[in-house]
Amino acid sequence: MSELPAVDFPAVLGLLPDTAVTKHLSHAVQAGKDFFVPSALRRAVDAEFEDQPRWHVGPVRVLVDEAMDRFEGRRSKADVWLAPRLHATLRMTRAEAADSRLWNYLAMLVAPDYVVWRHRGSKSGIAKTSRFSGRHDLQAFARLWWSAELFRDGSDYRPVEPFWAYQDAVNSIMRLEIIDHRPTAAAMVRIVERLANEGVPNASDHVNGLSKAVNAAGSTLVFDVIAPDSPVDHDARLDWIAESAHAAEVPWDRLPDGPDDGAVDKRAVDVLVPMFEKLLAEAPLRVRSKKDADDDD
Amino acid sequence: MRPFLSYPRIPDTVELEIVSVSVDGRDLPYSQISRTEKTVALHQTGRGDWDLATLHLKAVLPDQEIADGPWSDVVCLAVLSENSTNVRSTARLAKGRDGTWQGKIELVRGRHLRRAVLSLAVVGEVNGVPGRAIGKSEAPWYLDLKESTPRRQREIKIVEADFREASEEWLRGFKDSAWVVATVEDPEIPIVYLNTSGVEGLVEVLNGTSGSAAEKVLRDTTTSQIAQDAWIAMFHTAVSNLDQDDDGTPIMPTGWQEPVLKMMLPDVLPGRQLTDALREINECRTSGAGWAELQTNIQFAAGKRSQIAKKLTGAVRTVDREERSEP
Amino acid sequence: MSPQQGEKFGSWLARQLRRAGMNQAELADELEMTRAAVSAWINDRAEPRPETQRRIAAILGTDSASIYNRTDVAPDLPLQWHHRSAYKDGGREYGNAAAFAFNADLSALAREATQNSLDERYDERKPVRVRYTLEELTGEHLDQFLAALHWDELREHYDEAALLEQKVSRSLKAALRDLDENKSLILLRVDDYNAAGLTGDEYGDGRYTAVVRRQLDSRKESGAKAGGSYGLGKVTLWATSRFNLVLINSTLSESYEGRTERRVVGRVDLPWRKVGNEAYAGPAWFGQADTEPNRQQVSRSWWADEQTVRDLHLDRLSDEPGTSFLIVGAHDASGTAESLKDMHEKLVIALAEGFWAAMVGGNDGGPLLEASVVAMRNGRVVVDEKRVDPHTSHPALSRAFKAYLDRDTVEELTTSTQVARADVTLVVPPRKSDKRKQGGGHHRAVLLVTPAGEDDDPVNQVVYMRGNRMTVMSKRPRELPLGATRFHAVLLAGYATEQTGADVELAEEFLRASEPPEHNDWKHTEELTSVYARGALSRLREFRVEIDKAVRQLVGRRTTVRGEGPAALRELLKLDVFGPAGSRSRRNVPLVEITRGDLDDTGAWNVWVDLKLPESDSTWRLTPIAKFDVRSGGRPVVAWKEIVPRDNCREEDGNLVIEAGVRLASFSGITDPSSHPVHGNLAGLIIDIQKSRGGAL
Repeated sequence: MSELPAVDFPAVLGLLPDTAVTKHLSHAVQAGKDFFVPSALRRAVDAEFEDQPRWHVGPVRVLVDEAMDRFEGRRSKADVWLAPRLHATLRMTRAEAADSRLWNYLAMLVAPDYVVWRHRGSKSGIAKTSRFSGRHDLQAFARLWWSAELFRDGSDYRPVEPFWAYQDAVNSIMRLEIIDHRPTAAAMVRIVERLANEGVPNASDHVNGLSKAVNAAGSTLVFDVIAPDSPVDHDARLDWIAESAHAAEVPWDRLPDGPDDGAVDKRAVDVLVPMFEKLLAEAPLRVRSKKDADDDD
Repeated sequence: MRPFLSYPRIPDTVELEIVSVSVDGRDLPYSQISRTEKTVALHQTGRGDWDLATLHLKAVLPDQEIADGPWSDVVCLAVLSENSTNVRSTARLAKGRDGTWQGKIELVRGRHLRRAVLSLAVVGEVNGVPGRAIGKSEAPWYLDLKESTPRRQREIKIVEADFREASEEWLRGFKDSAWVVATVEDPEIPIVYLNTSGVEGLVEVLNGTSGSAAEKVLRDTTTSQIAQDAWIAMFHTAVSNLDQDDDGTPIMPTGWQEPVLKMMLPDVLPGRQLTDALREINECRTSGAGWAELQTNIQFAAGKRSQIAKKLTGAVRTVDREERSEP
Repeated sequence: MSPQQGEKFGSWLARQLRRAGMNQAELADELEMTRAAVSAWINDRAEPRPETQRRIAAILGTDSASIYNRTDVAPDLPLQWHHRSAYKDGGREYGNAAAFAFNADLSALAREATQNSLDERYDERKPVRVRYTLEELTGEHLDQFLAALHWDELREHYDEAALLEQKVSRSLKAALRDLDENKSLILLRVDDYNAAGLTGDEYGDGRYTAVVRRQLDSRKESGAKAGGSYGLGKVTLWATSRFNLVLINSTLSESYEGRTERRVVGRVDLPWRKVGNEAYAGPAWFGQADTEPNRQQVSRSWWADEQTVRDLHLDRLSDEPGTSFLIVGAHDASGTAESLKDMHEKLVIALAEGFWAAMVGGNDGGPLLEASVVAMRNGRVVVDEKRVDPHTSHPALSRAFKAYLDRDTVEELTTSTQVARADVTLVVPPRKSDKRKQGGGHHRAVLLVTPAGEDDDPVNQVVYMRGNRMTVMSKRPRELPLGATRFHAVLLAGYATEQTGADVELAEEFLRASEPPEHNDWKHTEELTSVYARGALSRLREFRVEIDKAVRQLVGRRTTVRGEGPAALRELLKLDVFGPAGSRSRRNVPLVEITRGDLDDTGAWNVWVDLKLPESDSTWRLTPIAKFDVRSGGRPVVAWKEIVPRDNCREEDGNLVIEAGVRLASFSGITDPSSHPVHGNLAGLIIDIQKSRGGAL
């Protein structure tokens, strides 16, 4: 178990404005020395959610504790385990998930210990501010939830796993707008999966080259037309969210089920994969200095 | 500059229009659709939450030129997206009998947060390569989920509040200030808070339109000063979190930051291309070299926007006149 | 069965004898009957038997059908110009007073002439069709026309009139000179079909005399939708002619003298002049000498044969009733349209502008009017016949009107193509003559509003209409809320509402009374105050206020009133909407443009680049950087394999050096394909220009 101090977390989730993070995120918290929550921080909360089961902090806290326990000493491996389970626990719409205040609340009031455990730099000794409050591909919880959201295939979370295979490739892919087209995201994940399966050396650099090439090609090619996706059934997601009222907590040793809102069109992915493979083959490979994926500096 | 391509684009820009919007099956009043602002306000005061908005679209393409040109399999694609929810959905428009392209696209409430963007992509096969982007609509439409008035550029918010008893906890810490400028409080738009209990009577004077000469002087100089604070704060916020190209060239941000930078950069670093100026600023800021010197320029640019010189000249003249007329 | 028009046989026969120059005795001799018998017929004491009638017909050179129909025998009398002698009192007129009331430009002509046609629509189930034909004549075509017109008889009058020191004389002189020098003449024929035609007696009241014989006679028929057909407006026909000369051919809707087709007459308006020893005043008419005893020498309209109307360029396309006016020597007095093409265009625009509403038809009721314009030269078409289409010229307004006719309006706008309708009440005050002050009434006028297109101009105007869709004025509503939907609007009052009822007539009369002679406003007039009870002006004012309010309701936004902060501060914190400050600030910075670019066999970009530089006192040291475009995020930089300075620059350490004062420089460059993140074919190329580091500026 971690040596971090305990956190006195609230029972229900809420919204915490970005300004409150700027003001109250102390060095002591970032360094994991003290997770005391000043009353001013509690007062800065914009809104606490009504008492719906899906907004209960308990299940999230349990997950986080299990992750810190399971992956003690190999923290980067926690992401791939946590991402689908956090997504299936925090059942919400994209509109709700796009509100940065929710992620601020999780990082500042629910599980600052997890943020520090996962992202404390080995040299700096602190976790960066952006891990508490920041873009969806950087913030400690948002990156996990959104990776599951963007790479799942309907209710199937399996494609999320290869995505997390190469830590430093994650950042280069997740911010790209091209992956908002689901077949594009799926095709890239399939290639990453192949690289992992074949044990290709310098695979991260390949992934970087791939994402750069696809992003550039996306300036002249419209993948939505080349590989049309099937529509997303938003009502199915609403049903899945409603089910959370009586759903059991997520399983630890097998993947949970995501919202059954429509699988990605396989034909579309099949069209894109060879195209992307070709882009990857032609892309210049720039071998970058090997970085410790665990190091967050 | 516009990217240079290895294949021809269609010569003219295409026009996209949102003809009407129905929200959960009920038509949105047309006054909430602005063709000049290219903005739709989806929020209807007095009406409850909604789930689905259907946008009825019409596009005009240079059909003759397309027919005569090297393009084939032309598709007219409406693209609805929002960065903050990572949503991108598309719909094809079909050519109607009157020669315009028509279709509809659905905006699902639960998949969007604040402002969705609708644009039009014309796609076709060129020189044997299918799926090429060959044209697009000039300015995209904005679909505002939180506004009931269709306004493209949201105005900088001005909020009058008693800081002592402000509902925003953090404001209470500034109870002795006359005003504060908050640039990150609302990610959509900066807010200027005026303290109704900071300097008694000041907010009333600011809000007045008439009054004595002295009152006018006070109003003019104070508003200028507040505006200068706001422009400086906005500029700093706008340059503080820039995305970068590979070579470190910062990318012009979107949102309110874009007009702020475009309005101020020519005065902060005159004679530079916008991207070049932005790069210079970013380098000064991150390396620290020259950053202090740059403050003077930023202040000058903000002062110009706030009409400091003009307002102060007026004030001096007024005071001068008053003194002369003293018996 | 009674003969047509019920003219007695006797009066018909008496007229035919006069025309044929025969007396009763001669007829009796020819018939070998007694004079008493003929006299009995003439005095309607008896009618000849059918067999005798056939013989009479033969003698007069006609047939029994003409007798049955009381058709006049067209006598083969010579055509002549009859000039009115000067007044005995010595009074002299040097021009047609009414003509000065109008600007004789083609727009005014199109407006006035077409309004007359519209007012004279015959079959209410069909539109009246107007056709404007411009034709230029030269050479033998011109000679033939002038001969048919008996130009020689007129010429001496023109020459004398042109000698006078009068305004009209000067313009006549110019017209004659142009004709002599250029040997060319422009005719403008204005035809209408499905109109009443110039019916009525040669001299008594009727449409014919209103046009041909009288001036300033606005022949108002009570209850007619017309604002006074063939009133002042007809003067524009003559005013458009440089020779003040108009020929007329009319097909009548009610027969006169038993005939309907080819009633032809000409009229010229000239100032007082002396020809030989005779003084003449004003007009002259072209026709046959009248055979009536007291009108000898006067020229009257005649029933022309087909050849004659062809020679006079007056032939009509069909036998439908209506009138053709041929303006001889047509011109646009404003001077803006001189060529046939310009005149054609000006007419099309004027017709669209003045009558778009009348030309709009609904699913049930067609339009009131169709109009077209064609231009020819010596019988050959030079500008194709152009049908004036209101949906092209006034798309939004026409859409609004059609939606109204088709009952396809909505109460609240939800799309850009919809038309919203609101009813606005006009309170018509009682007339002073209403004894118990109970007259007047409430009229429901109709307001139509539809959103404007992005580029439409003008917008935000209400077009006010009454009568047979006559535009009175366009006005911008007051107090439009800021940021309201841009719109087009039409207000229909009176007959223009296409409704019937007492209130419609009351409103029509009331509004007409409030119009000045130009029919371009609803305001205080003498007629208004003399005819209507007190408060009439207030009613008009209230009407306008109600209309403006209705517009605001249909286009305005429900602006939520909320504290937006001090106005003075808001003013200083405005953000520009589209492309802020861009063009202004760009003047002082280097601009870069790729003028040519190819991908070579190695996959490298070969580009030619222009640099436009602002004025500068110091040397430029610039670094061009090539990047690939991307869908989102950071753009990858691609390396140069080489940069070659072309014009006005040199290379130093990968930078371009350009001397002070140079405004345009160019270079070419080749990229290194091994640095391309993707094949150059797949991404756009961008070149940034940076001021280089280290070098002094």
